[in-house]
Amino acid sequence: MNIASTIISNLLAGDPLEGRTIWLPPPDSNLAANSDLMFWWINAVCYFFFFGILIALVWLVASYRMKKDRPFRTDGPLHHLPLETTWAVVPLFIVIFIFYFGFRDYLNFMTPPKNSYEISVTAQKWGWLFKYPNGATSDDLYVPTGRPVKLSMRSTDVLHSCFIPDFRVKKDLVPGRYSYLWFQTDKVTPEGWGHNLFCSEYCGTGHSNMNRKVYALAQPEFDDWLTAQSQWLDKIPDEELYFRAGPKLYARCQQCHSLDGTKGIGPSWKDLWPRINGGENGKFVDGTSYQSQIGAGKQYPTPEDYIRASILNPGEHVVSGYGNAMPSFKGQLNDKGIDAIIGFIKHMDEFDTKGKYLKEPAPLPKVSMK
Amino acid sequence: MTTINLSQPLDTTVRPDNYLTHTSGFMSWAFTLDHKRIGVMYMVSVLLSFFVGGVFALLVRTELLTPGQTIPGVTADVYNHFFTLHGAIMVFLVIIPSIPAALGNFIMPIMLGAKDVAFPRLNLFSYYLWVFGALFTVCSLLLGGFDTGWTFYTPYSTTTPAGGVIAALTGVFILGFSSIFTGLNFVVTVHKLRPPGMTWFRMPLFLWAIYATAIIQVLATPVLGITLLLLIVERAFNIGIFDPSMGGDPVLFQHFFWFYSHPAVYIMILPAMGIISELISVHAHRHIFGYKFIALSSIAIAIFSFLVWGHHMFISGQSPLLNTLFSLISFSVAIPSAVKVFNWMSTLYKGNIVLNTPMLYALSFLVLFTIGGLTGIHLATLNTDVHLHDTYFVVEHFHYVMMGSALIGMIGGLHHWWPKMTGRMYNETLGRVACVIVFIGFNVTFFTQFFLGSQGMPRRYYDYLPEYQIYHVISTIGSYIMALGFLLTAYYLMASLFGGRRAPANPWGGGSLEWQCSSPPPFDNFAKQPRVGDCYNFSAIRWDEKEQGYVVDPALQASVNPNLAAKNSH
Repeated sequence: MNIASTIISNLLAGDPLEGRTIWLPPPDSNLAANSDLMFWWINAVCYFFFFGILIALVWLVASYRMKKDRPFRTDGPLHHLPLETTWAVVPLFIVIFIFYFGFRDYLNFMTPPKNSYEISVTAQKWGWLFKYPNGATSDDLYVPTGRPVKLSMRSTDVLHSCFIPDFRVKKDLVPGRYSYLWFQTDKVTPEGWGHNLFCSEYCGTGHSNMNRKVYALAQPEFDDWLTAQSQWLDKIPDEELYFRAGPKLYARCQQCHSLDGTKGIGPSWKDLWPRINGGENGKFVDGTSYQSQIGAGKQYPTPEDYIRASILNPGEHVVSGYGNAMPSFKGQLNDKGIDAIIGFIKHMDEFDTKGKYLKEPAPLPKVSMK
Repeated sequence: MTTINLSQPLDTTVRPDNYLTHTSGFMSWAFTLDHKRIGVMYMVSVLLSFFVGGVFALLVRTELLTPGQTIPGVTADVYNHFFTLHGAIMVFLVIIPSIPAALGNFIMPIMLGAKDVAFPRLNLFSYYLWVFGALFTVCSLLLGGFDTGWTFYTPYSTTTPAGGVIAALTGVFILGFSSIFTGLNFVVTVHKLRPPGMTWFRMPLFLWAIYATAIIQVLATPVLGITLLLLIVERAFNIGIFDPSMGGDPVLFQHFFWFYSHPAVYIMILPAMGIISELISVHAHRHIFGYKFIALSSIAIAIFSFLVWGHHMFISGQSPLLNTLFSLISFSVAIPSAVKVFNWMSTLYKGNIVLNTPMLYALSFLVLFTIGGLTGIHLATLNTDVHLHDTYFVVEHFHYVMMGSALIGMIGGLHHWWPKMTGRMYNETLGRVACVIVFIGFNVTFFTQFFLGSQGMPRRYYDYLPEYQIYHVISTIGSYIMALGFLLTAYYLMASLFGGRRAPANPWGGGSLEWQCSSPPPFDNFAKQPRVGDCYNFSAIRWDEKEQGYVVDPALQASVNPNLAAKNSH
């Protein structure tokens, strides 16, 4: 029954890889058609010249091998002005044509339409944050189909680059500047699948894991998703926050913070709470210990204050043995989100090493379309 | 053009005294002013660096066999160091000095019929700068390495915790000066030391290429120097030049960097093109076709090379107007490149082709350079570059040009001049086999990655999605095949030093001046300055059984090509 329904839904949704060739991924945006057409034309020019040159080389080598015991033949021409001019000028015309069409479509790529739906993108080592006009945020990119979408992008640390191969679009995110990227996709992303979104500008340790998915939803579903996404945290009662929202928010932290004690880019969260709560032997890079910083009358009156400060201002006290690598999450997590993280860390023993809640099997309400 | 003084038979007796035996002892090498010894020292150093860079390449390829970690202990950070070292070593320590400083140093003065380069002391100084630069790079490893990529893009390079960044930058800065001094030396040498009768348009084409390269080295490298210095200042003293959090501009760095590093691509490829002109003409025993077009296309490439740097930045936020101009100018490089390829092919027409190792390398160059050049069209075109930029497609394009063309050209040249440099012949059969293995391995490694790139696999990735794995596996197998080919090459070249047949003065039938002195050349190259003829005139050269090499036979003069006779009469 399950298999049958999967097959049927797949048939209805269509093959996500439809249109994919050995050279190119499926063309799923309005910009892909022209980009691909250009790609194929250039390929045709390349095949023509490459095989032409290859065949000519084989023929030349086969025909003009040295004859033993005979003086060298010396009847070959030394130069031939018309011929040489021809093969200087013909490529010139070919590349001018190619330039023109590439240029025309590039202008289109560089000019987002006025009526675009704008999504703000923030990249930092090593994750993406997508923020929608109603204030909702997400780690994967959700876009409506059938209308132009404009990403207004910035980076908070080093260079990143937003690359969606199926849409044939890419743009660098430069710290200190905003950059735009736009596309329009008319194809709803099939269930259980998503377009890849890569960081394609080298940014260090987590560069290759800075990939996310892009989901295109029809406008009504997108609107539903958007509403749910903007409210999901608010709808959760405070006492259930740590196990309903904690694991979901942890997805953004797991790149650097493990739950099983493995040393990552940042300290593991395993036994973090006992360490900072009355803790033993923890040290910061400035030489001070946890005990001298955390507690009544000290810099962080409670361990909760310490965690909150570490999220909002991570460089303040860096744990000994680690670099100052964590970006600030100021403006990305509201108080409720921070409470969820604190609760999650406090109740670490109720979760497995992947962040799955062990006590109640599946109490989470459906909060997302995917 | 150089050569063949028909009235005066070649000096074919191997003179007991040559540059290798002229003096002996460590100090006689360490303080030598002889361009040949400096060339040999460069060659040994460059080949050692090539080995080290190659080991890093194999580590990178092996790590990419599976998604995630493949080699135990190689984490994302270690991998980032690996590919950075591979790139930095191959670019700054291997390819840039390989042809001009190693082969050029050895061959250029002899081709000119000169005793040495214009400034022998400066030449030795360049070599020691290279050594210091290399030492700094090694030091940077001890200080914690650098994981910035060879491009040192800011603000990552100014903020990365890796400890060896400043040492590496200093190393590259010093290497830059080595390159500038070599270039300066060669420009003056070509201008001032040409023998009587060798006009600009009688120079061997290798010299044209070396000359064009030297001009780029002198004009472009200082920009790299000052850029790296600014980067060091920013990293060491937190003075904001490129880092936006201190009021700098990271895109400015990219402009500065590529203003050097794009011309640097031509510092690599131009001398290889010069070698190919020699190889094809000599091993086809046929006058080069369209000499002037080939010579002038080198100069054209040198000029264009300064005007196209922005094509590395089409999606970096550079203005659309600049992108358009840079795209247009980038296409113009296609014209001199096409002229060269077609003229080389025409040189084979009605030639006397011998398919020996150097010729096989020259043919490999033609095929690989064609692929590298043609795939450049995808990247110069604005809208297709948006998709392909920073993917494996770019990686493969520049490996076809920098390795498949520049390095293959260098290795072809090494085989071509090996008998001259060492006085020994290598095993010809093994040479051909190794060349074929390298050619196959290269294409298996790199052609596969065109598909990876166009399907969207970004470069500099430690981990990747499973759908890309099959291509990575094929590519890694290819890299092992290539490594095998290079190991075989190293073996038979080393073996030739000990058991190789003694090389005649002119083993291939070349016409330029270096084939007129004995192998290896005497300390002072020529007893008296040789007379210069047309170095691409092969009509009076024939094989001599007794000599086991080629000699000039005045009796053949009668059969001189009527085209040539007409050309030489005015």
